[in-house]
Amino acid sequence: MWVVGGINCETDWIREERSEYLMASKPEKVFKGNGVSPGVVFGQALRLDNRNRAFVKMHVENVEGEVRRFLKAVKQSREQLAVLKNRLEKKIGSEHSVILDTHILILKDRALRGEILESIRKNRANSEWAVMQAMDRIVRAYESLEDEYFRERHNDIVDVMERVLLNLSGDRPFSWEALPGDLIVVSHDFSPSAFATMDMQKVRGLALESGGRTSHTAILSRGLRLPAVMGIRDILSCINTGDTLLVDGDDGQVIVNPTRKRLGRMRDRIEAFGTTAEYILAKSEQATRTQDGTKVSLRANTELPYELEAAKRCRAEGIGLFRSEFLFFGHPRGFPSVKEQHLAYSNLAQEMKPHTVAIRTLDAGSEKVFKNKDFADNDSSSMGLRGIRLSLKAKDAFRTQIEAILRSNSDGNVEIVLPMVSTVEEIWQTKSVISEVREKILKASGAVFKDCPIGAMIEVPAAVFSLEVLAKEVDFICVGTNDLIQYMLAVDRGNPQVAYLFQPLHPTVLQCLSRIAEVAAKLNKPARICGEISSNPFFAVLLLGMGYTEFSMNPLSIPAIRRVLHEVSINDSVKIAEKALGYSTAQEVCDFLTTAVTELVKTDLSYHVQELIASDGQT
Amino acid sequence: MISLSVEVENSLGLHARAAAKLVQTASRFSSNIYLSREDADQRIDSKSILGILMLAASKGTCLAFFIEGKDEIEAGEAIRRLFKSKFGERE
Repeated sequence: MWVVGGINCETDWIREERSEYLMASKPEKVFKGNGVSPGVVFGQALRLDNRNRAFVKMHVENVEGEVRRFLKAVKQSREQLAVLKNRLEKKIGSEHSVILDTHILILKDRALRGEILESIRKNRANSEWAVMQAMDRIVRAYESLEDEYFRERHNDIVDVMERVLLNLSGDRPFSWEALPGDLIVVSHDFSPSAFATMDMQKVRGLALESGGRTSHTAILSRGLRLPAVMGIRDILSCINTGDTLLVDGDDGQVIVNPTRKRLGRMRDRIEAFGTTAEYILAKSEQATRTQDGTKVSLRANTELPYELEAAKRCRAEGIGLFRSEFLFFGHPRGFPSVKEQHLAYSNLAQEMKPHTVAIRTLDAGSEKVFKNKDFADNDSSSMGLRGIRLSLKAKDAFRTQIEAILRSNSDGNVEIVLPMVSTVEEIWQTKSVISEVREKILKASGAVFKDCPIGAMIEVPAAVFSLEVLAKEVDFICVGTNDLIQYMLAVDRGNPQVAYLFQPLHPTVLQCLSRIAEVAAKLNKPARICGEISSNPFFAVLLLGMGYTEFSMNPLSIPAIRRVLHEVSINDSVKIAEKALGYSTAQEVCDFLTTAVTELVKTDLSYHVQELIASDGQT
Repeated sequence: MISLSVEVENSLGLHARAAAKLVQTASRFSSNIYLSREDADQRIDSKSILGILMLAASKGTCLAFFIEGKDEIEAGEAIRRLFKSKFGERE
């Protein structure tokens, strides 16, 4: 059960009695901002704090169980503070660790604890909400003090209460399952990672204090067809979770407690916009096909665990590229064990079944991973010892990773991808490492593992031009567009002075991409684009015309690309690609491509033109 | 029940560290120990750090303690000594 400010929200908002009730309660207020994603939606506010969390009041059945949960979190917090205090004392002496005494005493404070316990019991409410209520009250009381020193003590209280909240429920103090639908996220900002954790079937729109048209969040909201208004001043202080909101992404305004008159006026636009997220997800249920029925597969690039959730929600047709680096970075033993890696890989494989999961072997320079002295002097810049080159030198770590991947393939849906291949010998050597590992396991335990298809990342110019040789040795090809552009154009993306030369639409880059598609088709090897360029609809149409039908991208971009490809036929895209390959500058290609694709599809792509130009470094 | 009047003599007042010491001292005794500013009615629990900090007692503030319980005499003496020692603060 869920209660917000006493309103039990019905999905069927059109119902008259509800409108009447709403109008009777609070006056209407209009906030202006920038409309960054079009459409009009109606819903109730979910107000998030500066860490993108919401503390909503939830009804608990087992009150004494809730009390025990709260007391356990307090106890944990005390233990953590005691450890911290000890550490601090050793470091800088007891003179300064005394501030932690104050924090421990705040945790022990009987009045505070009594207030929270009473609130849990009386309201039959969740601990997080009760803690927040008490914290808000005390902070307000302190803020009213005249003496600056004592007024500032509210920071200590917030510090301690934040720790309790963290121990109660981590960074996710509410479960989306428990929330109703039709939510409008109201927040200072909303990071792409927060995006990935939200339940897109329940969120209708965004009203944010920060952010602009070209922010990542704006791009994502357009892709997901979530009306969004950003850059609204001071909206947080005027809105509570549960308030009814109208988000008008067309005119850049957010209306709190809209009047019946206004709702009547906006009704057509709200209904015309449809049911947004549901609409997209319903479309997403179907496999991706072009207008003429050609099957296209849209997969997700993922790295961090939460991205898997986003991939599933956006109906990714597999993980086209799993970046395994985060398992390695900062690992205390240099590299993670078979068991640790197996846990991560097999989870991916199980969650994505029946789709495939492509695990890219470690793609990093040694400086970030190994503390081994053999690699201490390694210059692992973009042209140094990295990717498959490093793996073939650091054989122990490589064997460990290969074993973990093989063991994760119990259902036969795991693939291995080798990064930065520049010679065919590297593929041969990798294959012999794989057979070595297989044999070792066979001898040790008699276990036989299913074959993992092997793919090579094509991202070094040499690989593009020896593709006929390389492709014969692998089962499929992945095109790493970011690195390919960097090496092809000799542009270090980290260097702002040459960033303008990082041009994905450079005629030479397009020639390479076209050649790869052609050779792969001739040798009958699937070719997959694994770079962020395919998340731009213009680029996606161009790549489709070159012959690519497998794309892997940021999972949140999938629904938008799926929608655009529904509107495009193979014939149209081939014509566009042929013409695009005939220009001599990136700007000419850009002008042609945006015009041609815009004429072809009904979906409003104007925002993506900006992305395309910006990524060309022209603005 | 005994009552006790003290003046905050240390330069920083009943700041976080001094308040922590007062809570720790008061908590050693089973008696109820209440405290108020002589210029205000509000009465707070000396075993609650949040209450003590809320008093915002700077140097020169006069405070009144009300102590009731089996060990009230000892508690009063300990508190008096704590204020007299200026909470061990270096001046």
